[in-house]
Amino acid sequence: MQQQPSKKKKIKVPRVVDGIETMVEIEVDDVEGPVWGPNDKHSLLNHHLQRVDGPIKVSGVAKYTYDQRVPDMLYARILRAPHAHARILSLDTDAAKQIQGVRAVVSATDEGAAAPKDGATKQPVVLFAGMPVAAVAATTPEIAEDALRAIKVKYEVLPHVVRAEDAMKEGAPKVEPDGNLEPKDKRGDPEKVAADLTKCEVVIEGEYRTPIVHHACLETHGHVVDYRGGDAATVYASTQGTFTIPGDAAKTLGLPQSAVTAVVEHMGGGFGSKFGIGIEGQMACRLSKLAKAPVHLMLTRKDEFLFAGNRSGSWQKLKAGANRDGTIVALNALQYQLGGVADGSQAGQPYIYNIPNSYRERIAIHTHEDGSRAMRAPGHPQACFAIESLVDELAYKIGMDPVEFRKKNLKDPVYHRQLDRGAREIGWERRNKTPGGGAGPLKRGIGCAVGTWGGGGNNQCKVDVSIARDGSVTAAVGSQDLGTGTRTYIRAIVAEELGLGMNDVSEQIGNSKLGRANASGGSTTAASLAPSVKDAAVKARLAFAERAAPLLGGAKPEEITFFGGTVRAGGSSLPWKQACAALPAAGIVAHGEWVSSLQASGVHGVCFAEVEVDVETGHVRPIKMVHVQDIGLPLNRLALESQINGGMIQSLGMALWEERVMDADLGIQLNPGFGDYKFPGALEMPELVPIIDDEDPREAVIGVGEPALIPAVAAVPNAVYNACGVRVRDLPITPDKLLMSLMKEAKI
Amino acid sequence: MKAFEWVSPTTVQEAAELLQSGSTARDMDEHARPIAGGQDLLTTMKDYATRPVRVVNLKEIKGLDRIDGDARKGLRIGALVTLAQLEDHAVVKRSFPGLAEAANSVATQQIRNLGTIGGNLCQRPRCWYYRLDEAYCLKKGGSECFAVNGENKYNAILGGGPSYIVHPSDLAPVLVALGASANVTGASGKRVIPLEKFFTLPSEGSIRRENVLRNDEIITEIQVPASPFAAHSTYLKFKERDSLDFALAAVAAAVALDAGKKVREARLVLGGVAPIPWRVPNAEAFLAGKTLNASVLAEAAKLALDGAESMGKNEYKIPLTQTLVRRALAKVGGVTT
Amino acid sequence: MADKLKPESEAEKNSSHNPSRRRFLKGVGVAGAGAAIADHLLLNVEAKEAGTVQATGARPAAGRINLALKINGQKRNVTVEPRTTLLSTLRNHLDPPLTGAKLVCDAGTCGACTVLLDGKQAYSCLVLAVDTVNREITTVEGLGSPENLNAVQKAFVEHDALMCGFCTPGFVTTISAYLKKNPNPSLTEVREACKGNFCRCGTYPKIFEAALAAAKSK
Repeated sequence: MQQQPSKKKKIKVPRVVDGIETMVEIEVDDVEGPVWGPNDKHSLLNHHLQRVDGPIKVSGVAKYTYDQRVPDMLYARILRAPHAHARILSLDTDAAKQIQGVRAVVSATDEGAAAPKDGATKQPVVLFAGMPVAAVAATTPEIAEDALRAIKVKYEVLPHVVRAEDAMKEGAPKVEPDGNLEPKDKRGDPEKVAADLTKCEVVIEGEYRTPIVHHACLETHGHVVDYRGGDAATVYASTQGTFTIPGDAAKTLGLPQSAVTAVVEHMGGGFGSKFGIGIEGQMACRLSKLAKAPVHLMLTRKDEFLFAGNRSGSWQKLKAGANRDGTIVALNALQYQLGGVADGSQAGQPYIYNIPNSYRERIAIHTHEDGSRAMRAPGHPQACFAIESLVDELAYKIGMDPVEFRKKNLKDPVYHRQLDRGAREIGWERRNKTPGGGAGPLKRGIGCAVGTWGGGGNNQCKVDVSIARDGSVTAAVGSQDLGTGTRTYIRAIVAEELGLGMNDVSEQIGNSKLGRANASGGSTTAASLAPSVKDAAVKARLAFAERAAPLLGGAKPEEITFFGGTVRAGGSSLPWKQACAALPAAGIVAHGEWVSSLQASGVHGVCFAEVEVDVETGHVRPIKMVHVQDIGLPLNRLALESQINGGMIQSLGMALWEERVMDADLGIQLNPGFGDYKFPGALEMPELVPIIDDEDPREAVIGVGEPALIPAVAAVPNAVYNACGVRVRDLPITPDKLLMSLMKEAKI
Repeated sequence: MKAFEWVSPTTVQEAAELLQSGSTARDMDEHARPIAGGQDLLTTMKDYATRPVRVVNLKEIKGLDRIDGDARKGLRIGALVTLAQLEDHAVVKRSFPGLAEAANSVATQQIRNLGTIGGNLCQRPRCWYYRLDEAYCLKKGGSECFAVNGENKYNAILGGGPSYIVHPSDLAPVLVALGASANVTGASGKRVIPLEKFFTLPSEGSIRRENVLRNDEIITEIQVPASPFAAHSTYLKFKERDSLDFALAAVAAAVALDAGKKVREARLVLGGVAPIPWRVPNAEAFLAGKTLNASVLAEAAKLALDGAESMGKNEYKIPLTQTLVRRALAKVGGVTT
Repeated sequence: MADKLKPESEAEKNSSHNPSRRRFLKGVGVAGAGAAIADHLLLNVEAKEAGTVQATGARPAAGRINLALKINGQKRNVTVEPRTTLLSTLRNHLDPPLTGAKLVCDAGTCGACTVLLDGKQAYSCLVLAVDTVNREITTVEGLGSPENLNAVQKAFVEHDALMCGFCTPGFVTTISAYLKKNPNPSLTEVREACKGNFCRCGTYPKIFEAALAAAKSK
């Protein structure tokens, strides 16, 4: 299609690099593009669509990276350092190499290995327990494991620090040459806040902590590097960004980037942790190059816990004051973000609240722990938990309904609408009138909390929609499906545009030889990809209409409609396949680009939770959770409900069970497995009510992966307080903590 | 997992001799081990906490997979009887309900389908220091129990020192409460060991083992005697995560009541709080002759935790276990509190 | 704290391919009071390492052994070591492999590797392949194909009981076996039956729905 030369306009869009979202300004065409039309007038979109990859996944046929098997493939394993801080004095791989079946060994001491080095001695250093120091490839996984244990490493053990409190002390072992405290930003006037706080009628001061938690993707990080020497390679990757793979892999393999194809057919969860090939991908490439054979290197579960990232912990010292009428007047927030050797992340306070006078200071505290990575709504649950606990405390102290109190301090009417809706769904009036009140040891309570996210897209997706002469339709783009339903909505957009059924369209994704696409981070995928798919589908339809017009009595192309598998104009209609027969042998290929007006950014999100606390054991049983989410145009209501459920459940896990436990003395993680790192299972499930806020008038696509996770992490603790009258400011609320707090506050 | 040799003898005697001949290594964690369901053994092998040179499969031995008996004669349970068999067995459910509950409380259906009664009693500790290959702890031949100054939320409040593991078995507290004993065969003969004497405190037996079994010995059968209290037995297990977890604390309780609803005899054994199933004779003695009511339950709970000490992060286990004691006694005594 | 962590010599100590270890293993067979019986039960270690041996019934074995397994109704021959788990055997040693059962925790704590042994749920990461001779092994692939899904698989698709799908095969096998035992379960029973399977995307509520729907559809 020939496009008119157009005006340009500048807009800000999110871009995700290594899972960290930043806003960048881009220039886009300022033209009337295609539109979605009213949200309630779609034939496929905004309906309950079954996942198109469902049948192959439920039957075990879908091939994930972990499942890739190529001829002569070797299995690789990684050796981790047991020390939190050490210098590698020597690393002897001879014995490992002599084991029958071992084909290649690489290590941190190899020439050119990407390993941190001691500034003075140039020896490789270990900065956290679990850091990879070597890897082996062998004919079976069992032999590879033997080889690991035959590698001899001599370490000079150095002093370490893994507790934030210890890292702040004078003389603490240094994680970074410049010290362990790294100021991030400051905003506001602390003196004015302090002055205002003295005038407030009600003041709450508290320290709020969230632990380091893990992504715990069921499929671990890893790759199958299919390279046998020669001039081309295919890298199967469990990644959130197909296009984050070829460049890194090519560099390590010594090939031009164009010679490396990344394949991501299906992937078993990422949640923000899977961008680029990482140390494990580099090791896989090096092993493959050395052995001249394909290498399968998927992390073990313990590897995954120890060096594949986590959500940074937080330690926030907040002090806020309000007046008895329910207005929050001032807030002072000292926000420590605990990201180990990385920076961590934390949304700045006062988060979503409109507080006339607030000051915040964010500081990263470094420790000898694996660096944090982006994790589903990076920085938000930490900030949300602290402020939403504090706000709850203020409401109770003033004696005001916590929902009304929130509404009073949130200007945005969408929050008011969503709070009312959530309150209705959960039965807010059933909450415990007196926290901790009621007879018997089992006490129920209800709490709520509020969150926000961006969710807009960017202009990186290039989609091709092709229509073949036999009537088959394909949408192709290199993007990836993390389990969010990307494949399904790609198909639905194209099928709806062409008036076809879901099974009449196929999609090709997860391959770097296809059209470019952004990495899936920050809930940017749908809002980036869906507009490009729509654009391609519209162009394909118009191109098709031109071809079909002569068959329909010379109708004008723009008058031709596509519906129910037929192509119509005026009184005449043709079945799809018959119309396709008029196409040239090459069929039609239409190329779609991002159209900014088809997406939007900025969502809210409200969660209500009901729990039952056994005050004689400290056990918390989730009863019911409701999450209300605005999202513009829901592409697929079924998948959307699942994603909202998933957000609530992960957030619930963070509230009640999940935490990385470190031994301060040994410097090691004590729970790097699913037995001791306890994320919720079937018996932890409350009744879950995902509510799509259809009052959102925007006819635009917005990402929803992150916002669904945010508020539950505070709603659940607020419900615990409402039930038993004890405020736990230190997540997770495990029975040991809650029972001791109940005893201390003499609630039992 | 380290490579090993796999042997499937068909008699108990052969198995015992294979275990004995495979136990010459200097490091006892490399000695031959018997495998039944393997649901615990394989996890310790994957963690390299045990590295047996030989694994002796017991499942080809005939006749060890039956449950015989009834309420009048007591039970004879073959060592290879699975937890799933136990929890589903009509006689066990009706006449030894605490045992059925304990079996049902173990892990998950997948594990209960394979895990056996013998294996459950011989499980190794779940203490994370023991399970972590990186930590060379007392249980593995090191010189320190890291729980003492470390993360001891899950460790012992009773009977600890110098190791502070808690015994992970769910069946053990109930079987001790019911007065069960184990038939054991070794290379040099058989013996019958009352389960109360089977488990050893770290201060008594080998610090690297949790029971009196010699390395060539195998449990062949568990005998549960008929008793007036077996039918009024229960097992309450408290988990941090209900779906899959070991006990933070557990209580096995059994009472025999007389016609006037007075306690004739009580058995009370705590799980998850000590290196062995922790019987509390003083609480049992206190209960004898009492009518169960709220204040009696509270006093029994207090007595049951006599001597319990916090290591710093496990103090909560004291009130938690007291709650479980009260609730278990109320349940078996038919008391509504 | 270096001494608290694993001794440096551990690498050497733990390698089963270390020459001294090999001699030690060999000595085991003829030592002690069990020598007489061990002679006929144990094979010569050198022979074991030279090639593969058969391991059927009660015959002892080490090194690489040939097994004939019954998987999804078919006889499958495979060569593995005694330490090779059933899960690793299915995924890494069978040719062609069966990768439906997923390796996720490798410790019996997640359920993604659940297969059926004689119709009963088992974590295939906690079962040795050598221990499954003469048992009927059913993997998710044996329950239905994309074109011919069983009732549970069909309900999973209809109710969106999967997202990334990595836990799904384990849930499907677990629930398929459970519904045979209890064809008409309550929600509480379904939850209890699923407690050995873990999902990270958060599909549990839809899984429960699917399980109940599958039960009704039968």
